[in-house]
Amino acid sequence: MKVRRRWHAWAAFTSAIAVLVALPLLPASAEESPSPATSAADKTVFTVGITQDVDSTNPFTGIAAASFEAYQMMYPTLTEYSAADFSTVPGLAESWEESADKTYWTYKIRPGLKWSDGEPLTARDAAYTFNRVINGDIEQTNYGGYTSTITKAVAEDDTTLVLYVKKPSPIMYQLAVYILPEHIWKDIDGKKVKSYKNEPENGEAVVGGGPYVLIERRKGEYLRFAANPNYYAGKPAADEVVFRVYKNTDAIAEALRKGEVDYANDLSANVFNSLEGAEGITTVPSVYSGFNQIAFNMGAALTDGTPIGDGSKIVLDPQVRLAVAQAIDRQVLADKVYGGFATPGSTVIPPLYTNLHLEPANPVGFDLDAANATLEAAGYTMGEDGVRVSPDGERMSLRLLGRQESSESQKVVEYVKDWLAQIGIEVNVKIVSEDTLYEKVGNGDFDMFEWGWVVEPDPDYQLSTFTCDQRSTEEDGTIYAGLSDSFYCDDEYDQLYEDQKLETDQAKRAEIVKQMQQKLYDSNAYVVTVYYDNPTAYRSDRWTNFTPQPEPDGVLLFQYGTWSYESIEPVTADNADTTSSSGGGVNPALIVVGVVIAAGLVLGGVMIGRRGRSEDDVE
Amino acid sequence: MSLIQDVAGGGGHDPVPGPPPLPRKDKGGKGLSPGASFALRKTGAALGTLFFVLVVNFFLFRLLPGDPIGMYTRGRNVPAEQLAQLRAELDRPILEQFLTYLRNPFSSTIDSAQFNRPVWELVTERIWPTLLLVGTAIVLASIIGVWIGIKAGWKRGKSFDKVSTGVTLTLYSMPEFWLGMILLIVFGVGVLGLPGVFPIGGISTPGVDTSSLAGWLDVAWHMVLPVTTLTLVYLAEYALVMRSSLVDEMDEDYLTTARAKGLSDKFVRRRHAVPNALLPTITLIFLNLGFTVSGAITVETVFSWPGLGLLSYEALRGPDVALLQAIFLLFSIGVVLANLVADLLYAVIDPRVRS
Repeated sequence: MKVRRRWHAWAAFTSAIAVLVALPLLPASAEESPSPATSAADKTVFTVGITQDVDSTNPFTGIAAASFEAYQMMYPTLTEYSAADFSTVPGLAESWEESADKTYWTYKIRPGLKWSDGEPLTARDAAYTFNRVINGDIEQTNYGGYTSTITKAVAEDDTTLVLYVKKPSPIMYQLAVYILPEHIWKDIDGKKVKSYKNEPENGEAVVGGGPYVLIERRKGEYLRFAANPNYYAGKPAADEVVFRVYKNTDAIAEALRKGEVDYANDLSANVFNSLEGAEGITTVPSVYSGFNQIAFNMGAALTDGTPIGDGSKIVLDPQVRLAVAQAIDRQVLADKVYGGFATPGSTVIPPLYTNLHLEPANPVGFDLDAANATLEAAGYTMGEDGVRVSPDGERMSLRLLGRQESSESQKVVEYVKDWLAQIGIEVNVKIVSEDTLYEKVGNGDFDMFEWGWVVEPDPDYQLSTFTCDQRSTEEDGTIYAGLSDSFYCDDEYDQLYEDQKLETDQAKRAEIVKQMQQKLYDSNAYVVTVYYDNPTAYRSDRWTNFTPQPEPDGVLLFQYGTWSYESIEPVTADNADTTSSSGGGVNPALIVVGVVIAAGLVLGGVMIGRRGRSEDDVE
Repeated sequence: MSLIQDVAGGGGHDPVPGPPPLPRKDKGGKGLSPGASFALRKTGAALGTLFFVLVVNFFLFRLLPGDPIGMYTRGRNVPAEQLAQLRAELDRPILEQFLTYLRNPFSSTIDSAQFNRPVWELVTERIWPTLLLVGTAIVLASIIGVWIGIKAGWKRGKSFDKVSTGVTLTLYSMPEFWLGMILLIVFGVGVLGLPGVFPIGGISTPGVDTSSLAGWLDVAWHMVLPVTTLTLVYLAEYALVMRSSLVDEMDEDYLTTARAKGLSDKFVRRRHAVPNALLPTITLIFLNLGFTVSGAITVETVFSWPGLGLLSYEALRGPDVALLQAIFLLFSIGVVLANLVADLLYAVIDPRVRS
């Protein structure tokens, strides 16, 4: 009795462990049957790893980057940014024209289009969408910035959309407003729209007009899109696109290596390098539209000019800012801090926008002697402790804020601290969260900080961050930050900003935009440290024919447009079978190993059990 | 070992080993049985704690500095009027906000500033994966852990004890996310030329119908690594506590008496020693149950599990006050309720506590 029971317990324990060990082997076939079965059943699935889930598939309420990626797949826009160089190309509209008196724009919509459910897609849907945003409330949040100049939208017939404007505006070339199907959205009024989920119901896809339609969403897990046969540029080659959520890019990189996903971006330099040369994987650095900067407090104030905050007077001197600019080695930052996945920065419009970026004629290079000379000439004399003293007798001691969220930021501020020490400026570095930084900057409680922006193809938003109107505001004793974080304020600049806002000749507008960049560059409001890349890797053994934006080395996905989703093609089946080692069936070697381990455990269990029994007998 | 005792004592109970108390006369002063009045007292205390949490919860997060709306809209072209409207809710007088909150902390009209959606909607869609993950792990860990603890404690100093104590102490001192990463690398990614067989992350494979049998298998398949991680870490705790409390009982006179009666060793262990030694372990199990909703944050991150962990992290950004207070309220309710259940159950198991 005793012996039997003991044996029983041991058997239970060891077999439990054996099952745990063997489990990997059993369901390997169970799992493989559903997932590759879907792709094996002649369906091609392109899986993208994302770190932040789509927060809402309703284009009026979502804010995450992945959400906008989803919207542009689901819905068309009037025009698009070209893959080659971000110039305006036809989207839903084949052509567009500003009226001679500059009071309205006419868009010719492609004829004979259908929504994914077969209903006609016409200029009326576009007019409906624009009017909804113009007269809307919640609808304004995401799109109000584009429609602020439009007074009303009229569909003259199925293919003619007329948008009336208060004043001329170049934004009319690029209205990033997703055109929605009126026959669906007319039932969702202004009150319902906030809680409307816009998700597939009863297996029915969300009605759309972009290259893909949403067919399934599992929150926090994934979204599935199916190719839209009614898309105006033709049905894309990949039958399905899946956005799969992981919680960090390391996990996505491993999933890519294993074949769970086909595409990963935003990789760290280390992960990127480790993927380089991996079988079936291609890595591309991808130039990106983001820059980082060291910003100065150029006189924090409210929009009415009332000074706020406790910024140092020293950085108000343009010569001091120039000296700092001369003392920052952007190339070293790009190489050492960003692992080479960045290029030295200059102006606030990144060079990938070839039509708009200004390469300054008078570049400020890294030269500590020149920086020292600049300060010397401006009357800042070296003190006994190696820190200079201003003409007013103030010690050159400045605060520099870095960001907790970014390891690069923390390294950059340390480099800057070292360099500035060599020109007699003492820097007190403090690392804070982005929330805190935002708060401190808005209140003007800083001298210098490190942060950055991602710049849209339309320069308006970025340029607006340096206008006087974007300084902080005060309401009931609380100070709210505007978009300006340098508090740069210059009448001439503001005038140029207004001019470019009204200039509908794109070449002329580009000239104004370049003048503005020059002014900012000369003022050193920002020392743009780097333009950083977006290190990307994808399964080249499965997918080919990606379209970079811009050509030739831009990003492959998360573009301004859906170029790659439309162009990618699966690598032919024979190819994939020989090169892809993962995602297949069960490795026979693994079964052997599993069986050996399980047998060993059972045997060990029996042995220990026996020993236990003999001890029992002794007792 | 002091650590273990701390854990055992963490519930505020001090299971004094000793002879069962002599039967006492029922005081019956208030007309309530001691059991009922004990239960009432404990429930009252739990309710009090909950109210306290409710209040602290509200004011604590409002002490955080920040302009969440500005933060969330940075880099987006949001019209000024719209910004003002978004800020309006947060700018209402604090007392007014507090009263609205007290009226119904679970109201569906409280919106997350970040996601612009009702906070409880966000929370409830994330709670099930967490419950599934941690619930399974706790059940497995308590069964296996208690079993190992009994085995090891009863045969103190023998080889099973030595091995299991060594292993459990190692597991106990391991950070769970670290163990998770090791398991992920070995069994998910694959090492030494062996391919990893388990998925890197997530709870299901895209496109699989989770209501079908294949779907269930698929979810179970995705659960293996995270559940194993949590089980290993939790079971270590249970095994160690169970072992030490069983060892405490070992030399008690009542066990000698039982043996003297001629009862078999096994019977003595099962009927006499284990029930007495189980008390601290039960406390621990229930305390851990309280942490189910909050406990797996790091493991969820390692395995990209779509639970509450990431949501809590996202809520801190801004900060998203409404979402933060909802999540913390939920966590607190979990802990308080589990404590209450542990208290009540304890009284059922151990009559000494009631009196």
